[in-house]
Amino acid sequence: MDDIPGKIIDNSATIPGYHRLTVRLEKPIGKVVPGQFVMLKIPDREIFLRRPFSVYDARDTKLTILYRIVGKGTDALSRAQKQAPVMVLGPLGHGFTIPDLGVCIVIAGGIGYAGVRLLLRNLGEKAILFLGIGGVNELPLISDLKGIEVVTATLDGSYGYHGTVVSLFREHFGSYRTKDPTIFACGPKGMIISLKEFLEPHKVPCQVSIEERMACGLGLCFGCVAETKDEINPYKRVCKEGPVFELWDLSL
Amino acid sequence: MGPLAVELLGKTLKNPIMNASGTLGYGIEIEPLWNIETLGAYVTKGLSDKPHHGNKTPRVWEERYGMINSIGLQNVGVEHFFSHYFPFFVEKNLPVIVNFFGFTEDEYVYCARKIPSHDLIVALEMNLSCPNIKKGGISFGKDAPAVHNIVRAVRETTPIPVIAKLTPEVKNIVEIARAAYEGGADGLTLINTMPAAIIDTKRRNMPLKGGLSGPILKPIALRAVYECYKEIPIPIIGAGGIMNVEDALAFLMAGARAIQVGTATFVDPFTMPKIIASLDSWLKENACAGISAITGIAHD
Repeated sequence: MDDIPGKIIDNSATIPGYHRLTVRLEKPIGKVVPGQFVMLKIPDREIFLRRPFSVYDARDTKLTILYRIVGKGTDALSRAQKQAPVMVLGPLGHGFTIPDLGVCIVIAGGIGYAGVRLLLRNLGEKAILFLGIGGVNELPLISDLKGIEVVTATLDGSYGYHGTVVSLFREHFGSYRTKDPTIFACGPKGMIISLKEFLEPHKVPCQVSIEERMACGLGLCFGCVAETKDEINPYKRVCKEGPVFELWDLSL
Repeated sequence: MGPLAVELLGKTLKNPIMNASGTLGYGIEIEPLWNIETLGAYVTKGLSDKPHHGNKTPRVWEERYGMINSIGLQNVGVEHFFSHYFPFFVEKNLPVIVNFFGFTEDEYVYCARKIPSHDLIVALEMNLSCPNIKKGGISFGKDAPAVHNIVRAVRETTPIPVIAKLTPEVKNIVEIARAAYEGGADGLTLINTMPAAIIDTKRRNMPLKGGLSGPILKPIALRAVYECYKEIPIPIIGAGGIMNVEDALAFLMAGARAIQVGTATFVDPFTMPKIIASLDSWLKENACAGISAITGIAHD
């Protein structure tokens, strides 16, 4: 892990409100476990703290993230020009653990796709992706995903299944039950909660990548915590013990 | 010891740079980036007699030129710290300042009693910004008689030097500093975070209130150090918005014997090693034999 200077080589909108940022680093970031993230120094004087982003892709000195404009930091980032300098601290946190056997089911809601993209690439055709998006207009988000079976749900019914991705997954789950499934999920809190409610009686292994406001990204400040079922020490650091947790360990 | 060395409460630190409590975890977390023994001393996360779970999220929020935190003093408890984390600093031979807190006078005393004397322990740093639950939640640090009493109670409990870390949310910080001194404090840390709040105008609510830190605090902290240095004859550790060597020098010149870096580490985790290297260069460029000579120079 290191803090590496880099320059923006691409920061274009994939669809309105979602940008893909590629940075050329001064040296390779090294091995990234899917689910790990980086703390990015945004090239804007008004933005004080760094921002955490899942690693979308990392090859040699090229690092890519996919982000949605949700606040001050991502808004400023979306306006950063090519050649703008950034600092990239990472790779950080505890990522996904890939099982040796069984089928790998990946569930992504909206920008949660950014958190599982590297996992999907590593899993290859072993994986199936259940994707939840608002409508068909968001489909270009996964246009660079090749060789993986994708089942899509849209909230407005404009493409694929009409409804939430968890409802869609619920309809398909029966066919995977006997195949020793491991579930990987990343998405809004509501999606994770309804996934948990559905999976509760089945007790299948499920790893979720979660999000929280962060300051340091290194486990120094205890600012980003998730409540777990550990009675002695319930609050675990999302940046250190996470961002990937076993779903059954979390208090949601 | 080199030109950066400073004397603090009977110990020699190899440089005057330390972390502010709670901004460098339990110390081990920074090891992947740089060696913790680079510091003059490590200041522990705030410890208490019993473990504390801390607050629900959100715990942190960015503000222009600073941030607000409300961690809620999450910590493993003083006993666990000494059994699990302290050996790491012994192995590194790194001096430690033990920051601690309580919500009653008794909790401070019980906690202080559990902190063992050790060659590497420079001092106990009392976080006096805690609400006193027996006095309706008003913080100890805002009331001069309460500061005097609690410092004296801790002072009588332990042979280890005691540093009072003061809140800036007071009418007259010199008066509070004097109360700490007269209660027996051996040193002062100036200043803790400033109470502040965030309003989310989109959601029309207040997502977070807590302590404001970062460069927005620097001039307030400098004033506190400057004023107390004139009046109170015990060493001062300066803290509040130090981002670079220029800021560090300003605190030393205002009267600080050592300084603490907090929020800057979140912006750039290498801030402290960079300040140490830059201070060394500064001494050479200014033909200055030792950093101690800088302390309080702005008063001459």
